[in-house]
Amino acid sequence: MTSATQTPTIEELESLVGRQFPGGTYDLEPWRVWLTNDVIGAPQRTDGIAHPMFCYYAAMAGLGISIDEMFTLCYASADDGPMFGECDIQQLRPLEIGATYTVRGEITSAVRKQGERTGTFDIVAFQLEVVAPDGEVSSVVSNSFIFPRRP
Amino acid sequence: MSAIPTPSVGDELPRLVIQAVDAEKMKTMAALLADSNPIHWDVDTVRELGMGDQPVNQGPNNLGYVMNMLGQWAGGAGRIRHIRVRFLDNVFAGDRLEAGGTVTAVGDDGTADCDVWLARDGTHPVLAGTATLSLV
Repeated sequence: MTSATQTPTIEELESLVGRQFPGGTYDLEPWRVWLTNDVIGAPQRTDGIAHPMFCYYAAMAGLGISIDEMFTLCYASADDGPMFGECDIQQLRPLEIGATYTVRGEITSAVRKQGERTGTFDIVAFQLEVVAPDGEVSSVVSNSFIFPRRP
Repeated sequence: MSAIPTPSVGDELPRLVIQAVDAEKMKTMAALLADSNPIHWDVDTVRELGMGDQPVNQGPNNLGYVMNMLGQWAGGAGRIRHIRVRFLDNVFAGDRLEAGGTVTAVGDDGTADCDVWLARDGTHPVLAGTATLSLV
């Protein structure tokens, strides 16, 4: 693999598309929900339903690799200054506190762009599904990261 | 959750104000997410990177504020069916934020589409996007 901060070739970049993440599980534990609600200023609910931000938290925590490992996979490191691009969350049904969700997903696109001010950068997008214990998909999360590249 | 009065296109959503983003809560979130990026809790690192002298809020926290604004209007954040946002700028500890939105479409199926935003001091955009909610 190319070293973490070396700009990948177009072929290397495009080869990321379709790469599947290891996946894993995410326990929606009550203490985690309480603390997260406290951080983002959300009401503490009593109906057993988690805040929809947990679609995102579950997806990212359960994809099976760390953010740093994600950056390495994309031929980058935190030192390169990667930025969050877009975040798209579909909540198909509410997440239930106390349940264990399965996460699966893959890289869906990887493109190179050129900006007048920003220079060369790559946008890598990925999609993750958060699956309930009964096998139904509860949410679909699509994110993208922007990776500045050296000339 | 009970149904709310049918909105109209052009309706402004009630704004949600965060008077001052709390640096201590960034530390809690960093621990919850196992987020090793020191810009969320180490002011020295933030200074060394030339990003100012306050910790940088986690981007998902900013999205959470917008969801809270939608939930406050719609009778619970659980009514959010779809939300898509772009992160436009950093939010720092101590920042005063306003979250707001505008209804852009109302469906026969009880859904409403909205433009949503989060702005520092109510004027400088830090997040923008769209959302669809079920209101029935």
